[in-house]
Amino acid sequence: MTFDCQETKRHVHEFLHNELSAQEVAEVTAHLANCDSCETDYDLENFVNHSIQDACSEVPPQELAEKVLENIRKMQAGIDHA
Amino acid sequence: MTSYATSMVSYKKTTLNSKPMSEVNSAQNSAKSPQTNTQSNVAAPSEKAQKSKLTPAQRALEFEQLAIPLMPQVYGMALRWTKNPSDAEDLVQDTFAKAFNAWDQFEQGTNLKAWIFRILTNTQINSYNKKAKDQAKVSIDQFEDWQLGEASSLTSMSSRSAELEALDRLPADIIKKSLSELGEFQQVVELAVIAEMPYATIAEELQIPVGTVMSRLHRGKKKLREKLLEYAIQEGYVTAPKPAAKSSKDSETGSL
Ligand SMILES: [Zn+2]
Repeated sequence: MTFDCQETKRHVHEFLHNELSAQEVAEVTAHLANCDSCETDYDLENFVNHSIQDACSEVPPQELAEKVLENIRKMQAGIDHA
Repeated sequence: MTSYATSMVSYKKTTLNSKPMSEVNSAQNSAKSPQTNTQSNVAAPSEKAQKSKLTPAQRALEFEQLAIPLMPQVYGMALRWTKNPSDAEDLVQDTFAKAFNAWDQFEQGTNLKAWIFRILTNTQINSYNKKAKDQAKVSIDQFEDWQLGEASSLTSMSSRSAELEALDRLPADIIKKSLSELGEFQQVVELAVIAEMPYATIAEELQIPVGTVMSRLHRGKKKLREKLLEYAIQEGYVTAPKPAAKSSKDSETGSL
């Protein structure tokens, strides 16, 4: 294991967003398995990401959903007749 | 918590598109699993070769089944970006119309969410907010303080678990409010976390270097956590050893 705490913590977002190389992923996971402090950090950032995702969906107004679908069907009809 | 690292690893190996996109309100369950990382090379078996053979009706059906369920996320983003329901609706309509037109170009099994959000971003930048592009270019982030890795180490283990608990209780409105207060970091955080776009795509969309994407994500997340914690303390969501009498809105979350 060559990643220390500082390096591991620095890579948290790249790890969670799948931006690390396989080698780096291996280093991070090896470190996390043995370090509660870094593991807590990763948990926390991951949790924040989920909280953001969960909070940021908005049920669209019914008319909007209908308009979008209607639009698609119109476009599809255009293709059918082409 | 001990199995976290292991679950992370196995998670990264599994098929990522298996998560149904249609769950609009069942999002709470997902909080326990690692974030859905979507990358094209780990996706479900591809059906791209068959795409062009679809009849127009099949094509429309496929679009309705796969793309339309993303509407709550897209609409949520559009609302935050336009700050106006009517503009948001126009933006959503345009986005889905463009996506349907380009549907043949989408490779099934790859990151659909990022693909749709990319169309949303382009549409928004081009048609609705030309300023956004310039603003994105103007501020070149300077010193990368996150590279020192100090962000998380500032707080102790115990306060971090308190933070986790507090976050768990924060209502969606506070999270959205905090996100909208992130200034130039907001869009990068949204595109990375909500749209699950790869850094390179975000960089391309916003016409900023990948290094800037990274630094804005790091700094934005740090700022967001600070804000959330602030609100959590303000609103009394942080667990105290002896919880004081709380306002009625807390009663739903139980006494612990
Ligand atoms: Zn560590």
